[in-house]
Amino acid sequence: MSRVLLVPRRLAAAAVTLALASGAAACGPKSGSAGSDAQPHPGGTLTVLNQNPQNRFDPARLYTSGGGNVPSLVFRTLTTRNRADGAAGTKVVPDLATDTGTPSADATVWTYHLRDGLKFEDGSPITTADIKYGIERSFAPELSGGAPYLRDWLAGAADYQGPYQDKHGLDAIETPDPKTIVFHLDKPEGDFPYLATQTQFAPVPQAKDTGTKYQDHPVSSGPYQVVKNENDGMRLVLQRNPDWTQESDSQRRAYPDTIDVQAGLDPAVINQRLSTGSGADAAAVTTDTDLGPSELAQLAGDGQLASRVGTGHFGYVNYLAFNPKSKPFDNPKVREAIAYAVNRTSVVNAAGGSSLAEAATTYLPDQAAFGHTPYDPFPAGATGNPDKAKELLKEAGYPDGLTITLTHSTSAGTGYGPNLATAVQDGLKAAGITVKLDGLEENKYSQTIHTVSTEPGFFLSGWGADWPSGGPFLAPIFDGRQIVTDGYNFNSAQLDDPSVNSEIDRINKITDHDTAAGHWGALDRQIGAQALTVPLFHPVYKRLYGKDIRNIVISDWTGVLDISQVAVK
Amino acid sequence: MAARELLAAEAVTTFPATGTRQVWRRLRTQRAAVAAGTVIVLLLLIAAAAPLLSAIEGQDPTTYHNDLIDSASGGVPVGPFGGVGAEHWLGVEPGTGRDVFARLVHGARVSILVAVGSTVVQVLLGVTVGLAAGLGNRLLDQLISSTTDVMLALPSLVFSIALMAVVPSGFPRPLLLTLVIGLLGWGGTARVVRAQTLTLKELDYVAAARLGGSSPWRIARRELLPSLAAPVITYAALLLPSNVVAEAGLSFLGVGVRPPTSSWGQMLSSATTWFRADPTYILLPAVLLFATVLAFTVLGDRVRIALDPRAASRLRVGVHRSGTGPGSAPPLRSGTPNSKEEA
Repeated sequence: MSRVLLVPRRLAAAAVTLALASGAAACGPKSGSAGSDAQPHPGGTLTVLNQNPQNRFDPARLYTSGGGNVPSLVFRTLTTRNRADGAAGTKVVPDLATDTGTPSADATVWTYHLRDGLKFEDGSPITTADIKYGIERSFAPELSGGAPYLRDWLAGAADYQGPYQDKHGLDAIETPDPKTIVFHLDKPEGDFPYLATQTQFAPVPQAKDTGTKYQDHPVSSGPYQVVKNENDGMRLVLQRNPDWTQESDSQRRAYPDTIDVQAGLDPAVINQRLSTGSGADAAAVTTDTDLGPSELAQLAGDGQLASRVGTGHFGYVNYLAFNPKSKPFDNPKVREAIAYAVNRTSVVNAAGGSSLAEAATTYLPDQAAFGHTPYDPFPAGATGNPDKAKELLKEAGYPDGLTITLTHSTSAGTGYGPNLATAVQDGLKAAGITVKLDGLEENKYSQTIHTVSTEPGFFLSGWGADWPSGGPFLAPIFDGRQIVTDGYNFNSAQLDDPSVNSEIDRINKITDHDTAAGHWGALDRQIGAQALTVPLFHPVYKRLYGKDIRNIVISDWTGVLDISQVAVK
Repeated sequence: MAARELLAAEAVTTFPATGTRQVWRRLRTQRAAVAAGTVIVLLLLIAAAAPLLSAIEGQDPTTYHNDLIDSASGGVPVGPFGGVGAEHWLGVEPGTGRDVFARLVHGARVSILVAVGSTVVQVLLGVTVGLAAGLGNRLLDQLISSTTDVMLALPSLVFSIALMAVVPSGFPRPLLLTLVIGLLGWGGTARVVRAQTLTLKELDYVAAARLGGSSPWRIARRELLPSLAAPVITYAALLLPSNVVAEAGLSFLGVGVRPPTSSWGQMLSSATTWFRADPTYILLPAVLLFATVLAFTVLGDRVRIALDPRAASRLRVGVHRSGTGPGSAPPLRSGTPNSKEEA
C-alpha cells in the first residue's frame, strides 16, 4: 500500500458524510399513535435513501471518519465520536474501551482496556485479540481501502502484508490479557484516540473471517446486524442485534428495530421523496444527499418543509491553490494580489449561497476542535479589493495586468467546478487579471492537480480532515516530508519549511486536544501569511428528513444527522 | 387559388431541374415558409447583433450581480419572473446575477454558428463522398458505402461526448463543436447523393457526356451537381435543426462550450434544477430553441416541396383528402431522408 492510498483522503471527507448517514425506515406499519409527544420511542423501520451504495461493508476496507454513519451501527470501535449536537460532537469518547486511551509520556505507546459485557452478534465475548486481528487484516492487500495511518504510525508495520500471509502478526500491538491492548507507535501521535474511531479498530473474530467474502456478513459488535446485503451495498437491511445492550454502549441509541438502506437513487428523487414523505418515506432520511441551491429557494416559501431541514458543519475548506514553483506564482506579491482580488460574495453564491457556504479567510475550518484562529492576512472585504490587488501587481512587475490559467473540474456538482471557476474569474477581472479556464474531466482533474510533474500553477482545490483536529488538516498539505513525487501529492505548494515541519512534530506530541488545537491555529496563521492558498469558503450541509423522524443529532464532526440517534416513533 | 398553383406546379414537373426563380416564387406563396423564414432572419439578426443588443440594454453576458440575487435562499433572483425589470429585460441568472437577455442573445451566436457550420461540413463531406461512391468503381463504392454505413451506425452522441472530452482545452470550443458534429453526421447526405448519382448516371445525357470522353470530375461538376442540388438542399435544410439540437445537447451535457460562454444548451442545463424556483429562466432558452428548430424544420420542409413540385402536388392532393375523410394516409414524404437519422 503505497502513497497512492492517500487518494481517497480528500474523497474521504465526502465519503464520511455518506457513511455517516444510514438509518432508514422502510415499510413497517405504524403503531397507532405515532406519537404526538416529541419523545423518541423504540421500534419501527428507518429508511435511508441514498445515491451511493454502502459498498465494501468490511471494517478493514471502509474509509470513514469517526466510524461512519451506517458502519457505526454494526461495527463498534475502541473509541468513537461523541453523539452530540454541534461542537460537543467533535469530541472523541470511549466506545469498546473504558477511556480514550492512556498515552506514554511521549505519546508513542497507547493502552486501552475493554469494558465489561461486550458481545458479538453470536453471543461470544469480544476480546482485545479480536481487535488486534481486525487491525492486522486491514493490512492485507486484498482488503485494501482503509486509511493509511495505521501503516504510517504503528512501529514496524510499513511492510506488513496482513495475517493471511504473515501468521506471526504485528508486534506493535500487544494483548497481554483479553481486556487489554497496547499500541506501539514509531512516532508521537497525540491524535491516536481519533484514529481509534475508524472501523479498522472494530473487533473481527478470526474464526469467522472469510476474507474478501466477510463483507457479505460481517460479525456485528454493534446494535444492528446485517440481514441482507444486495449488490455490494445497493440495498442493506439491518436488524436489531439481540446481543447488544444499551448498558454496554454509552453512545448509540438504536431506536428503530430495522434500518433499510436503499442506494442508487437520483438526488432530485431523494429530496422529492423526503419532502413528499408518503408511506415509508415519512420515516426516511438521507446520508449522502444535500439540498441544492434551487431546492433551498423552493423551501424558503414553505415553513413546514423548512422545519425538516437539518443543518450541519463538516470541517472542510475549498480554496485556490498555487504552485509556487511555476511562474508567475513564484512571486508572493502575485499570490497576494489574487488573494486581495477574489470576490468571496460571488464565490459563496456560486457555491449555493450564504446558506450553503461561509466565506473563509482561514485555511482551518471555523471550528474550535480544529484550532480555528480567526485571521485574515489579506483583508479585502466580502467583495474583494481590486485596487490593492492592482497595486501589488504593479510592485510585482505587472503594471498592465496579467493573464493566468485556472484549472478546475468540469463536474458541476463539486466545489471545484465551472461555477466556482467563473466566479473567481469574474472577481479577478476587476483587478486586471485575465483568467483563462482549463476545465478537466473530474478524474483527470484530480490526477493532474495531485501529481507533482503535472501540477498546474493555479487551481481549485479542497480539503477535509479524517477527524476534527488541526493535524490531519494541516500536515498532509504543508508538511515538507509529505511531498510525494511519485504518487498522489497533496502538498501542492510543495512547501518544505523546516520550521513548519518541526512545529508539526512538536504539536503531534501533545495529547491534550485543546492545547494542541491552539498550536495548530497558530501554525495555520503563520502559514496563511505566505499566501500559498487562498481560502474561499467552508461548506454548510443542509439535508431534508422525513416527517416522522425525531431525535435529530447533527455533530460538527460529521455534519449530518446521526442515524444511531434517530427515532421513527 | 390553390387550384391555380397546383396547375402551375404540374406545369413545371416535366423539367428535372427547376429554376431558382420558380422555387423562390413557390416559397413566397406559402405562408408557413414566409413565417419560418421571418423567424430565421430575426434569429440571424439577433445573433449577428448580439453585442449591440446587450449594449443597448446596458449589460454584458458575464458580469456578476450579487445584489440581484437572494444569497440565503440559494441565489434565486430577487423580484418577479426571475428579476425582470427595466435594467434586466429578461431577468438575471440564479446564483450569479448575470443578465439573461445578454446571455440569450450571445448564446444564439454559438447555437446558430455551430449549427450552420456543422451543416456545411456535413454537406460538403457528404456530397464529396457520395459522388465518389456513385462514380467510382465497384471496389471504391463498396469501401465508401461500408464506411458510410459505419458512420450512420455510430452512436454519434456518445462519440461526440468522448471526442469533446479528449481534445485539449486550448482548442476553440465552437469550432470543435462544429467539427465534431459535422464530421460525425455526413453519412446521410453521402447515402442520398450516392443513390441519386447512381440513378442519374444511367440517364442519357450523362451517358452521352461519358461517352464523349468527359472526365469523372467534369461529369460530376457539369452534369450531376445541378441535378443533385435539390435533394442536397432539402436534406441540408432538415439537417440544420437537428444540428441546433445536437449543439444544445452537447452543451447541456457539459461538454459543449466552456464557461463563461453561454449557449442555449448550457443555459438549459444550468436551468434544469431551477425550473420550480425560477421557471422564467428555463422557459426562455427552451422557447427560443423550440422556435429555432421549428422554424428551420418548417422552412426545410417547404424548400423540399418547392424544389420537388411533383411531391408537392401529391402532397397537396393528400392534404385535401385528409381534410375530407377519416383514416386517410398522412402526407407522403417520398424521396426525402428522415432527419432523425442524423440526430
